[in-house]
This record gives sequence, structure tokens and C-alpha cells, in this order.
Amino acid sequence: MLYRRRTIDLPHGKLNTPVFFPVRNIGKRSSDNTPSYVGSIPDLPVAMINTRAIRNRTPMWDRLLNGVTLREEMGVPEDTIVFADSGGFDFSSGEVDTTPKKTLEAQRQLDADIYGTVDVPLSREKRAAENQRRVNQSIEYALEASDQHSGEALLFASVHGYDPETVRNCIAHLEKFGDFDGYALGSMVPIRSDYKKVTKLILSARTATDKHLHVYGLGGLVYQPLLLYLGVDSFDSSAFIRGAGNRNYLIPGFGGEELQDIEQLERLPCPCPVCGTRTLDDIREDRSALVQHNLWALATELRRFQYVAESGRNIEDYLDLRFQGNEVTSRAYQTAKQQVRRLT
Amino acid sequence: MSSNFNITDQQRDYSKYGLSGNPFPYSPVPAENPEIFCGQSHVSEKISSTVSTVLSTGKSKHLVVTGKYGNGKSHTLKYTRSLLRDHDDVIVGYVAQPGEGFLDIYHEFVYDLGFSHLQNLSYEYLASITRECTDESPEGAAEMRSLIDEGDVLLPEIIPEAIRELSDITKFADFARAIVHMIYEDTNLYAWQWLTAEGIRYEQRKEMEIHSALDDDTMGVRAFTALKNMLLDLGYTAVFVFVDEFESIARLSPKYEQATLNSVRHLMDQNSSGLCLLFGCAPEVWQDVMSEYHAFSERIGQEVTLKPLTSDHLYNLIHDYLALERLSAEEETDLRPFTEESLNVILQRSQGNVRQILALCSRLLDDAVDADYDVISTEVVEEAF
Ligand SMILES: [Zn+2]
Repeated sequence: MLYRRRTIDLPHGKLNTPVFFPVRNIGKRSSDNTPSYVGSIPDLPVAMINTRAIRNRTPMWDRLLNGVTLREEMGVPEDTIVFADSGGFDFSSGEVDTTPKKTLEAQRQLDADIYGTVDVPLSREKRAAENQRRVNQSIEYALEASDQHSGEALLFASVHGYDPETVRNCIAHLEKFGDFDGYALGSMVPIRSDYKKVTKLILSARTATDKHLHVYGLGGLVYQPLLLYLGVDSFDSSAFIRGAGNRNYLIPGFGGEELQDIEQLERLPCPCPVCGTRTLDDIREDRSALVQHNLWALATELRRFQYVAESGRNIEDYLDLRFQGNEVTSRAYQTAKQQVRRLT
Repeated sequence: MSSNFNITDQQRDYSKYGLSGNPFPYSPVPAENPEIFCGQSHVSEKISSTVSTVLSTGKSKHLVVTGKYGNGKSHTLKYTRSLLRDHDDVIVGYVAQPGEGFLDIYHEFVYDLGFSHLQNLSYEYLASITRECTDESPEGAAEMRSLIDEGDVLLPEIIPEAIRELSDITKFADFARAIVHMIYEDTNLYAWQWLTAEGIRYEQRKEMEIHSALDDDTMGVRAFTALKNMLLDLGYTAVFVFVDEFESIARLSPKYEQATLNSVRHLMDQNSSGLCLLFGCAPEVWQDVMSEYHAFSERIGQEVTLKPLTSDHLYNLIHDYLALERLSAEEETDLRPFTEESLNVILQRSQGNVRQILALCSRLLDDAVDADYDVISTEVVEEAF
């Protein structure tokens, strides 16, 4: 079985993995309008932030330079664990406007616990030669970051590739020529509906290293159990916020439910602190409540999986059940199962 | 003999006939790598001289081996192939028959090379690029593979360069992409299917950015030439293509027959170096080709003919085989337990078909041991038919 539990020591405390990093939108718009969850969801003392977005928001950046901490700016406790990615996703269409050194300095200034290296995500449409160039560029950036990194926080190298060889080869190369605490697999979002491909790529990364493996952007309800099964240590998603914007209500086992489709129900089928005592109409009107519930749903999904594993139940039986409702994900899981069985 | 099964791992005892074992092949098809050349010396000399010229000068030279059915054309081609396979600077492909046209010849040739051989050639090519543009100097395919696995060499650094240079050498960018895709587990089967001209779906081609379909003789000639040019660039001396049962082109309609011959002619014209075509062909068909398609026959020019097996040939052949297992040197001139008379019956009944002769001899020898005969007499042979 590839699912695993570990504890990692970080500057702001110990972190039990596997763990889900909610993506905060701080720096993105006028302010961080992610409702509070750190503390109220005890297993999510974490946040994923976009270094570039914060660095480019001048008033906020000035405050941070003048002594305000990032965690104050976000309104979270000082022991909140922060993963600062480079914001590479914003480069997919534009020019890279930073250097590994500048990004590392900003990540240091943010007092992040985990730094993700500067990367240039792949495009699904772009020509193979162009994507090869991008993969190569990200590797160069990562190695440069490794040279500049002084070890105060963990450094995860961002890795891209649309085929298993490239992913394995890049990780082996970084392992040989750099010094990283873990690897973060990117560019999965554009191919997310190709479950089979995504699964293969994740497995090739998982088998290439025993170090921490993060997957960028795939922490939604459907992917989560798959990622856990494939031995991924952490993942992130902003689906809980984006979903709430569309009035999407996440229910473990069902995916997302559009709230406008439900009329007659008074109470929602979730006992979380948000939904447990409030009515459907109440939650429908309250975007923050919806976001918080969605985070609870994701946390619940993770807790369930851990419960199944800890209680000695058969995880594959659980996942058979879990995926039986949807033909596409069920097929993806069956493929993943065959591949995992070959490895274990 | 008992009608019950008697399965045992006990070896038969052939010492009664002065043999340590049965030297004849059990299988009725020509051995993939025959040990004994049962052909005739004028043939082996002609083939040797053709092959040697190609090896020593690097220039292309071609030959037709004619002979009636059963005179050992396939055996001759396969024997030559097995000799050539010992040279690691040549590539040899055997085509059992030309099929419907040149595309089939091309398909069979690549297929005979095999998936892993072609994949290794892809790694070999990457190795040459790696030596050129990195500090690493991998020697061959296996070393290249491990440099990739270990991460010493970065794929996205060498792949674009490999495609660029190979496109240059082959003047066929799609071919270059297909070769490179042989190393990717997600696409290597599609790449293989494209390279063998089996045909793939448009989406699969698109995934490898291959624009053309390899689906007619012209493309086949182009792909073959590209492959040969890549091999010469890798330092191989020559590519040998053995086309057996060439007479079957006579089955094609005149239009297709002409097209096939034209394609082979184009192939020869486009490959003045590093190519050796060796055809096995029935004499009557070859005569027609010679008289009707001058452009084609002029380019081959050379022909050598396998004659029907005579009884002397047969005695020599049987003797050569028996010598493989003879217990003592004195008996090496012996045909025991066969007699000249029984061999004459065999020759007559098999119409000189070497393949049949060998299979029959193998069976007769085992039966003789089991029945404890002193000799394999003409009666025993008669019974076997
Ligand atoms: Zn809830």
C-alpha cells in the first residue's frame, strides 16, 4: 500500500501528513477574503499562499516589510503552517517576472514553512517542443533555488511533465544535482479530466522519490482519496472557494451539489459546525459559511480515509465502494489499483 | 510400439549407430539460425562476395538467389542472416514474403527487427546526442537508459535536439519524432505502430505531433531510407534486407506488381550506399521480371541459382549432419544407420526438398532407435511415407 503517514518538522510546528493545504487568495484581490478555518478545523492548521501575488500587491508588501507578519495580515495564529508556492501558475500565459533568488527572498520575508520553486507550468495545447523548454526551465529554476537556499524552511522542487519518463527523469536529476526536501508535481490541472494519465504521472513521481510528495491543484473531493491511495503526502486546492462562488456544496461521496437545485429541504446532510445547526436557506445566502462547510467536507474526506486505514479495513474495498457511482473515476481508480498492486 | 503414452526424460541411446544424439532438427521449418549450410558452394561464394563488398566498401549491392521450391532458398537466406548477425555493425531484417507491395516489405523488415531492437536504436541515437551536447559520454543503449533513469541527463534538454538533428539526417521529421517516442512508455506502442506502418488513429499521431500517415509504398520507401540514414549516422556499415519468396509478387495484379518493383527500384536508387537487398525467388518469376522490368533487373544484375539436390548433395548433407553427433572420428565418413539406397528413396519421395528431408531423417532416426533396427532400410523409409 502506498498510503503513508508521516510527521514533518517545520519552523512553525510539527505537521502530520497526509495533509490538505487550502489555497488562500490573499494578495489576489483587495484582501484575503478566505473565511477563517485555522483553529476551528483542527487538522487544517495550514495554508497555501501565492508568493508572487503577495509580492506584487504593493501596499500589502510594504506592510510586510514594515513589521506586520504574513499571519497577522491573514488573520491566523502565528503557528499556522504556510506553504508558499511561487505563483508559477500565473506564468502559464505571461512572461516569468521573477528569478529564483527574488522568489526565495520573498518566501523568506513571508516566513513560510515550505517554499515551492519557481516554475513554468505546461500547456495542454502548446507544442511539445515548447513544453519541453518549459520543463527544462523549471528544472533550472529549481536547481538555482537549491543553490540559493539556506535551509531555514523546507524547499520543494516544482516538477512538470506530461509523461512518466520525464517526471521520473526530472526528479532523479534534481535529486542528483540539487538539495530538496520534497517535490511538488505541477501542471496536473489542465489534464485533470484524464484521470488515467494523472494517476500514472503521480505514480511515476511517487516511485522516483521517497521524499515528501506534494501535488499542486488537485485537492478536490474526487481526487483526494485517489491521491491518498497513491501515497501523496500533501495536496492543495482552491475548489472550496471557487465552488462556493458557484453555490456548490461539497458532500463527501457525492462530489459537489448545486444548491439552487435543492428547494424543499430544510437542513443539509452535514453535521459540521457550519451546517449542523443552520438551515439550507441560511447557508445558501452565506458565502463564507459555504466555504467553511466545503473545507469541512474536504477534512472529513481525509479523516474517513485515515479511519479506514487505521482501523485495519481494506482500503481498496473502501475505494471500490467510494468510486462505484461514477464510471469515469471508477475506471481511473481501477487502473490506479492495477498499477499500485504492481508496485507493492 | 505400445499404444500407451510413454513419456520419459530418459534420452534415447543412439550409440548403436555411433552417435551421441539425433543431429537433425525436429522442427519442419528452417531453423531461425541454422548451423549447417546445406546449400551449394557456388551460391555461398556468390553471397559471400556480395556481402563482403557491401561490408568493405559501404556501397550498396544486391543479389537474387533463385531456385525451385525446396532447394533451400529460405535456408540459404536464414543461414546468411545468422552469419551477419554476428557483426554488430550491421542491421539485418528478414522478410518472409513481399506481401501486397513495398509497404508490406517495409513492415515485415521493421517487425523482424523487433520492438526492443528499435527502442534500443532510439536510445542509441539519444546517446549520440548526449555525447554531443552534454558532458556525459554514454556508449550505447543500456548506458543511455541508465543515465536517464539516474537523472544524469535531463530528457527535456536532449529530446528537442535529438528531434532536430534526426529530422536533418533523415529529412523526415515525423520519422524522427516516432523514433524518439519509442522511449516513452505512454507513446512507444503508437510510435511502434506508426514505424511498422500498421496505422494509428489521428489522435494518437497528434499526441506525438506526427503529421503524416505511413500508409503507402512511397512513404514506406521514405521511412526505410530514413531508418537506414539514421543507422549509417550511428556508425552502422550497412542494412541488409532479405526478401524471401519474392516470386509471390507474380500473384499481384500487373499494376501492383509493377508498383512493387518500382518501389524497390526507388529504394535502390535512393540508397546508393549502405544497403544490401537479397532476394529469394523462383527462377521462372525472376525470368519474367528480367525480361519485363529492365529498370529493376538492371539494378540488381546479379543472380545465383540453387540447383536441385542430387544424391551426392544428399549424402554430403546427411553426412554433415551425422558428423555433428559422431562418437568417433573413424566413423565420420559413415552414413550409418542410413544406407545410400534408403537415402535415394528419401530424395525421390521428398523431391529434393531439404526441409522435408531433415524432418524425415530426424523422425526415422528416433524410430530406428525405438524399434532397435540395425539400419534404416528402404522398407523402413517406404513405410514412413
Ligand atoms: Zn457542513
